[in-house]
Amino acid sequence: MRKLLVLASIAWRNVLAHRVKSGIVGILLFLGAFLVVTGKSMVDSIESSMAKSITSSLSGDIQVFDKNAKDQLALFSFGTGGDDIGEIPDFPKLRDALMKVAEVKAVVPLGSVNTVVFGRTELDQALDKLRVANRRVAAEQGEPASSKGSFGIMDLEASPIGPPHPAGLIPFSADLKLSPPADVAAALVPADVTERDQLFTQIKAICAQLQEDQKAAFTISADKVKAQTDLDNLTKVQTPEFQAQFAADPDGTMDWLDRAIAPLASDGKMMYLRLLGTDMPAFTKDFSRFRIVDGENIPEGKRGFLISKYAYEHFVKNKVARELDDMKSKRDDDGLTFKTDQALSDEAGRTSRQYARILFMLAPKDANELKPLIQAELKVDPKSTAAEDQDLGKLLATFLTVDDSNFNERYDWFYANIAKRIRLYDVGVGDVLSLRAYTRTGYMRSVNVKVWGTFEFVGLESSQLAGVYNLADLVTFRQLYGKMSSSQIAELDTARKAADIKQVTRENAEDELFGSGATEPLVADSTATQKFDEFAGVDMTAATRAAAQLDDRVYTHEDMEDGVVLNASVILKDGASIPAAQKAIEAASASVGEPVTALDWQTASGIVGQLLLVIKGVLVIAILVIFLVALFIINNSMMMATLERTAEIGTMRAIGAQRREVLTLFLLETLVLAAVASTLGAGASVGMLTYLGEVGIKAPSAQMMFIFGGPKLFPTWSLLNVALGIGSVSLISLFSTFYPALMAARVQPVVAMNPKE
Amino acid sequence: MRIFAGTRVLFQIALRNLIQARRRTGVLFLAVGTVTAMLVLLQAMSAGINDNMVTAATTLSAGEINVAGFYKVTPGSAAPIVTNAAAVRKIVEENTPGLDYTLERHRSWGKAVSETGTVQTGLTGIIPKQEDRFFHTLQLAKEKDYVEGGRDEVIGDPRQLSEPHTVVLFANQAKRLGVKVGDVITYKTETQVGRANTLDLKVVGVAKDLGLLSSFSCFTQKETVLELGQLDPDTTGAIWVYLKNIDDAPAVMAHLREVLTAHGYRLMDYNPNPFFFKFEDVQGEDWTGQKLDLTLWKDEVSFLSWVIIAFNTVTWFLTSILVAIITIGIMNAMWQSVRERTREIGTMRAVGLSRVQTLLLFMAEAVLLGLGSTVAGSGVGVVISLAVDAANIHVPIEAMASILLSDRIHLSVKPGTVVAAIGFLTTFTGLSALWPAIRAALLQPVKALAHVE
Repeated sequence: MRKLLVLASIAWRNVLAHRVKSGIVGILLFLGAFLVVTGKSMVDSIESSMAKSITSSLSGDIQVFDKNAKDQLALFSFGTGGDDIGEIPDFPKLRDALMKVAEVKAVVPLGSVNTVVFGRTELDQALDKLRVANRRVAAEQGEPASSKGSFGIMDLEASPIGPPHPAGLIPFSADLKLSPPADVAAALVPADVTERDQLFTQIKAICAQLQEDQKAAFTISADKVKAQTDLDNLTKVQTPEFQAQFAADPDGTMDWLDRAIAPLASDGKMMYLRLLGTDMPAFTKDFSRFRIVDGENIPEGKRGFLISKYAYEHFVKNKVARELDDMKSKRDDDGLTFKTDQALSDEAGRTSRQYARILFMLAPKDANELKPLIQAELKVDPKSTAAEDQDLGKLLATFLTVDDSNFNERYDWFYANIAKRIRLYDVGVGDVLSLRAYTRTGYMRSVNVKVWGTFEFVGLESSQLAGVYNLADLVTFRQLYGKMSSSQIAELDTARKAADIKQVTRENAEDELFGSGATEPLVADSTATQKFDEFAGVDMTAATRAAAQLDDRVYTHEDMEDGVVLNASVILKDGASIPAAQKAIEAASASVGEPVTALDWQTASGIVGQLLLVIKGVLVIAILVIFLVALFIINNSMMMATLERTAEIGTMRAIGAQRREVLTLFLLETLVLAAVASTLGAGASVGMLTYLGEVGIKAPSAQMMFIFGGPKLFPTWSLLNVALGIGSVSLISLFSTFYPALMAARVQPVVAMNPKE
Repeated sequence: MRIFAGTRVLFQIALRNLIQARRRTGVLFLAVGTVTAMLVLLQAMSAGINDNMVTAATTLSAGEINVAGFYKVTPGSAAPIVTNAAAVRKIVEENTPGLDYTLERHRSWGKAVSETGTVQTGLTGIIPKQEDRFFHTLQLAKEKDYVEGGRDEVIGDPRQLSEPHTVVLFANQAKRLGVKVGDVITYKTETQVGRANTLDLKVVGVAKDLGLLSSFSCFTQKETVLELGQLDPDTTGAIWVYLKNIDDAPAVMAHLREVLTAHGYRLMDYNPNPFFFKFEDVQGEDWTGQKLDLTLWKDEVSFLSWVIIAFNTVTWFLTSILVAIITIGIMNAMWQSVRERTREIGTMRAVGLSRVQTLLLFMAEAVLLGLGSTVAGSGVGVVISLAVDAANIHVPIEAMASILLSDRIHLSVKPGTVVAAIGFLTTFTGLSALWPAIRAALLQPVKALAHVE
């Protein structure tokens, strides 16, 4: 032991004596330790941040899904969401079984389906209003809806496609032919005309516009005959005969408008929203990062829809406002300028061409108010007769032409003056959305559901991946997915019986259609529905009425849970082992006849989880390659140092040092050097990590935010990683010194004492 | 000029020195060689991914130049259609310098439905008799790759696309739909306001996946897409232009823009993004009728460029650390060499070697070492790259395969980048000897001669 201490002190002296060699090798060892500690700590920090953000926002610790599924569950994937992950037919049964597993704290059911939302066109909206007005008129007059009413059809001259309005505000010019908003038309008719007349006039005006558009459609349509029929139909709407027909038979005419004309207005916006059905109370309770932003959570027992705040801001918001937001973020957060960044200045150019998205959302009153304001903002002489000074569209385009000098001012002005006058979001909180989805067999289903609010996951506000799902209750999910719960099916059956509808099954079809069942009505007489006041005048079978009742009713928790789900998040008790729980869950589910596959959150998160594996792989390979090259270099340095010290070694050997002692001395030298250098390297890394842990590393992109578990990553270090850094570097240095040390040990005292050369 | 008079002698001395310090030279040679081999390998991988991307993109998504566009019936609509397709194609063909050939692709978007599954995908209409390259590039998958218990052979013939109502799927789609060659799928288009059209299509071939892009499209003939969309026969989705040299594409696109404008066509501003990113912009603009939109192949797959950027960042990062390490190593070795040979330097200086020549001598040593090791290292790198490429290794992770745009590992050695790697690393090796060489050059001959180790 004493000998070792002596050797160690000689080694330390030698390290200091051979400054250059020690310096070079020391720097390499320092760098090695620094890289290992930093790299490993960063990957660990990312993993734990991601774990926290993913497990507490959507996936839980474990995801379970059908054991016999075709595809593996991937919560966040590049794909189009068409993965077939099978289904869990009886969720309550599975949940009860899983809750008996010791590690399990909670089980939250999930089921996702891709939905499409079609925006209502101006014509659709006008037709809806006309239908309501029609019914009211009929009710007021105490006549059936189909009876004649007094009609004063307005002169078309006063409609929006007639001569320009004196105020110059009508948003039409020769090259600009968007359909006018309902309010524009409504505001232009005298106040004493009945609402019904106004609406009919508005519809006529829209049809006149469509007539122009239809001429253009000829160019690309293959079916010229149909194109001509459509054009003829649109022309017909403008004729006095049609007005007379409408006066005589409003309902019939409405039907015809619905069928023949409404589909021709194709400006409706199509929006894809991925829906995730879940047990909302459980979801809210078990996922701590979930937070309502606008509106309110879906009330317990009610059906409803929550839009993710990310989707709300990036897809549902007015395009112009969105572009302005995006440009602001690029300028403020990324430090770009219009002058130096071509992409940003192109974006500004495209935005100014989107002015119609504001113009056609303005009611005439708002347009009137806005014009002088915007003229003042742009410092335009209100008395100027130039078109670009008077036409609101041109003024808006000028306003939206932004550069570095005016962007901030225009941005604030937009939100202060324009945003409140337009519908800033296509879908508002409180609106009823018509969600459509293909069921698994390819049929289109449609469900109307109320939007209660928007939500986000704390820390993942700007992550697109985290914002990919919108939440809804399980009943809505099941309707869109195409499977109802057993209680719903029972309820529908009851409703059918009440309305005297018989199920026509394969077995009894012939009887029902042609034979003995003829005495009973096959389908309830539509007049039978007249007894329900709230649906009076609406042709509704008892089945659809039952479905409507399903929409309005309040559900018990059991009703909500009962039935099919696609997967479920399992939240474990603190400190429970995931692999052990996975095994226990799979066993428990199999024992109740609902076999599931249990995936840990990382695997279940799909491509993102795999990305982390790739990052880890790259890190390991990089460190290995770096170590390999460093090994050569250290080895070379040590060898040179050894050769240089042949005389010294010879002397030591001559005065009695054994080979083993020389070997130990050389290895000790390296070890001392490695210990010092790698401790310093690890120390520097810990210092840097501590600092970064305080200030955080900003996520370079929105995608990275998901991986960082928030806008910033706060790295941490652990003693284990420090030990790993120091240990691996010491090992490498010992390894690379072994051969030079062996060489040194082989030096003969005599050879050593010979003069050089 | 006098300075360089003895260059040859200098290099001879340098070489002799390197050989003399055989062991040291050998280790440094190994280190620099390893780094060079590594760099060449990484570059070959990067080029391989790029190749995959070009192949996948120019087969599935784009020509080398695309002449596409939007037709707006109303200001609020946007149909990705080119009208008067024949006339536009003629102008393009007559005015493209270095033209190889052109193609037409018709686009539709919707849902493929079978008895057991559904897949959301684009449907691309081709004119089979003009698509020799396509049929050449498209490799069919073995039946067992998409049918459980399927045969270990290729079934079907994509050339049957010349018959109406046929479709060629990719393996991932066939698998999901649970169909094989000869089965019939239903394709439903999704259009605005929910109007839909449906056709039954017979599967005539199932192709090998080409990464991420192959989830987004399958192929049928032009007439089928026209029928689904109820479109006029003289419309198309895009005219794909292929050049003799793909590198000319940006210049040729600029030229075509001028030509088409001169022929009276309205053009959209150049926006380097795929067409399906542009719907919302186009819908919000206030024009109607036809506008053409010209893009390059890489614009149509711009959403994939992060793969190459990420890969190159890792390459850059790793290379710079390795270069730093070998720089330190070589500097150390040269430093050592200068110290060992102080007396020799003194002698040489005394017999008339100038300071500059002394500097050059040491630099020459490093450059010779660098050149030799990088050439050897790149040779090893090239051989490994070619071997790995030839081995046709299967990518085991699906996500990895979709990112690499191929289910096989493909490496491509580009002579230019190999030469660049050699030049780059040799320069660094040479430069790392600069400081020791300066020290050597600054030695006083008298003191150097008196130097005792």
